[in-house]
Amino acid sequence: MQSKIIQLTGLGLSLVYGAFIIWIYATEPRTFKEVTTSAEIAAGTYQINQDHFNSAIALFRREQFRAARDEWQLADPAQADARTQFYIAYSFYREGWGRVYFDQNLFKQGLGAVNRAIALASASPLTVDDPDLHMHSAAELKAELEQGIELSWSDVNPFKVLRTRK
Amino acid sequence: MHDTRNRALVDFVALPFLFLTVALLGGLRVDGESRAFVFLAPPLVTLLLAVLLMLLLVRGDLLRFQQWIRSDLSPLTNVAHSWMFITLFFASAQAFNSVLPERGLLHWLFSFFFLWTLWNNQFSSFDARRLLRSLAILFGTAFILKHMLLASLYSPEGGWLKRVAGTLLQGVTIGTLDAPSFAPATGYISFFTLTLYVVGLILLASAANGQTKIITHAIPASVVEDYRQVSTAERLTVREAILTEEPQSESRRDNT
Repeated sequence: MQSKIIQLTGLGLSLVYGAFIIWIYATEPRTFKEVTTSAEIAAGTYQINQDHFNSAIALFRREQFRAARDEWQLADPAQADARTQFYIAYSFYREGWGRVYFDQNLFKQGLGAVNRAIALASASPLTVDDPDLHMHSAAELKAELEQGIELSWSDVNPFKVLRTRK
Repeated sequence: MHDTRNRALVDFVALPFLFLTVALLGGLRVDGESRAFVFLAPPLVTLLLAVLLMLLLVRGDLLRFQQWIRSDLSPLTNVAHSWMFITLFFASAQAFNSVLPERGLLHWLFSFFFLWTLWNNQFSSFDARRLLRSLAILFGTAFILKHMLLASLYSPEGGWLKRVAGTLLQGVTIGTLDAPSFAPATGYISFFTLTLYVVGLILLASAANGQTKIITHAIPASVVEDYRQVSTAERLTVREAILTEEPQSESRRDNT
């Protein structure tokens, strides 16, 4: 009987350990901190750092986009929060937007961030109720970023200098 | 009583945990610059090497499938033993992964020598003890070559002579001997991994001996020891002699 208990315990614990190893190799964490963050995401207990997030919002409103992004990176190091990724994408959009041309590199990074946001909020369409923003949904922002990257005849239209940033 | 419990603890708890730890650490490297973890899944060739090694372990009587997985054992015991063999397989693959260079010509050279050695060993006569010694030396040599010799040659912190030798070697081989630079911690992790693997094999060998003791408790230890010393061909002759003797002894018992 005791041998059976040992067998069951050993089998159960080693199966859990085996699953942990597969998970480690699948997520490839680079530091011990990333291991704990990934574990929090897997357990559904992951939360962003609200102080860094608020600080980033303040910087974003002052149009200090790079500094804001740095703060958002600190707030969401695992890039697992849809709202934060949406704001990061928005900061790329606002920084890359120009009256004459759009910064392709920044728009591409923005597209990456908004795609992450959409993937993270796959259960329902992502909407951010922020009065400071002109685009509230991730789909709208994605379309705007995609249009900025695409080359078309409208790029040579001289009236485009009259368009406004959202 | 204690013997059975200890045996069960080793077979069903200690061995799977040891082998799984080897499977975890075998693919772990520490980046030379950022000091970040790099997890390398076992390349396909290491799985092939692990299959050959498992065959060798069976031939060397370290793994006894027919004794450990039997119809007269409970399903749970059979499942637990099968799981232990699976963990051993992945530990073997990761032990090879730990001592194989990550890319380039050296990766294939090391793989080829491992394959050559394991293939040749398939046709040699082995017992558990000899096999353990042979494996310890095989992994030990590969460890010294990769983590001491090559790591020292490609180390960016090495002296000018080392750097010149490394650059010359790369130049002569048109860059095919290029190797990624890892932090010294990688060598320590690999050493720990290989030590755990060999300790696991020693425990496995003692488990196999334990099984033999249960079956042959009536035979004097010296006879068993003598039997282990002879070659496979001679063992077969001994077995045949015992089997042909058996009917006579049984008929003698019947007469009395």
